[in-house]
Amino acid sequence: MMKKYFPFILLLIITACSKPEPQKAAVIGIEDIASLTSNYPDKIQVINFWATWCKPCVDELPAFEKLKATYGDQIEVILISLDDVENLESKVNPFLEKHNIQSQVRLLDYPYAAEYIPMVDPHWDGAIPVTLIKYKKEHKFYNQSFEFKELDFEVAALLEK
Amino acid sequence: MKTLKVLTVVAIVALVGILVSGVLNFGSTSMEDNEIESAVNKSNVIDQAPVRKGYDIGDKATDFNLQNVDDKIVSLKDFNDAEGFIVIFTCNHCPYSVAYEDRIIALDKEFKGQGYPVIAINPNNPESYPEDSFDNMKIRAREKGFTFPYLFDAGQKIYPQYGATKTPHVFLLQKEGADNIVKYIGAIDDNHKDAKAIKNDYLRNAVTDLINGQEIKMTKTVAIGCSIKS
Repeated sequence: MMKKYFPFILLLIITACSKPEPQKAAVIGIEDIASLTSNYPDKIQVINFWATWCKPCVDELPAFEKLKATYGDQIEVILISLDDVENLESKVNPFLEKHNIQSQVRLLDYPYAAEYIPMVDPHWDGAIPVTLIKYKKEHKFYNQSFEFKELDFEVAALLEK
Repeated sequence: MKTLKVLTVVAIVALVGILVSGVLNFGSTSMEDNEIESAVNKSNVIDQAPVRKGYDIGDKATDFNLQNVDDKIVSLKDFNDAEGFIVIFTCNHCPYSVAYEDRIIALDKEFKGQGYPVIAINPNNPESYPEDSFDNMKIRAREKGFTFPYLFDAGQKIYPQYGATKTPHVFLLQKEGADNIVKYIGAIDDNHKDAKAIKNDYLRNAVTDLINGQEIKMTKTVAIGCSIKS
């Protein structure tokens, strides 16, 4: 009986083990936002500002995950959570685990929003989600929700440059 | 008979020609539009932010007839004694809004007697955010003991006119005759997390300047918040 199921059990264990671990959020400060937004990356960076409590943000996360899965090491997807740092262990990391988030996740622990918002883009009016795509000297800011095909289009266009 | 046939053929050819050229013309205009768009897309720094319509400083703000949590209809014109209004778009579900509730109550208590009452408006569609339903607004107002009207923007007609994009989002108005003129747009202050660690008390400073007949130093500030969903 056991012998009959053994290959299946083994397969199950292998798949379970090979499945990549979901990300945990690294806590960052305003200086990290400053360096992230002022550099000229050689690899495309897709930087998304979100929070676990933000419904339109959560709705579009699968599109960013699919983008990362599609382009792999060609791009960097960085999800910056604006959740309060007090909720890191109680809400944010459990959320990442539940949704098996594979993109890099950071949590910005800095309450003075009026200081970091203009660093990201002068046209950010303070609502989330917003997305910044950086590649060399390109700086594209999007005050909108994304679907995968739109993200795919933006990244593909940049890769052709 | 033959000439008539020839004429008919000529007429048909001409008609087809006109139709085809019309289609081509139409096609070429939309091509031009596309070209303009792609040219814009080619520039180095791109801002895809949609153009936000709404009030700027000095604009006349619209009055409204919105239902309060006590079921009564509230309009700005009902406040005969007011010198102006602290209109705050806020809601139940947003953590930033929740973080500011006590501060909004304090602002109302501080400035109502000086002619500037708080008028809170929930701009969200409860279908997107069930927590922001009218019934839940009533519950929250009772729990927190709101001292100000908490109105429901039913059908989401008012917030787009003001140009509110998030909660909380403040529009400070001053009465001039029968009009309400926008004097300040933006954040309540610069630290949603800790009221004791505020560096810039934007709204309080602006209202105080209005009361003292002084010019407001910062008339527009950047506010963090939850986007309003239609």
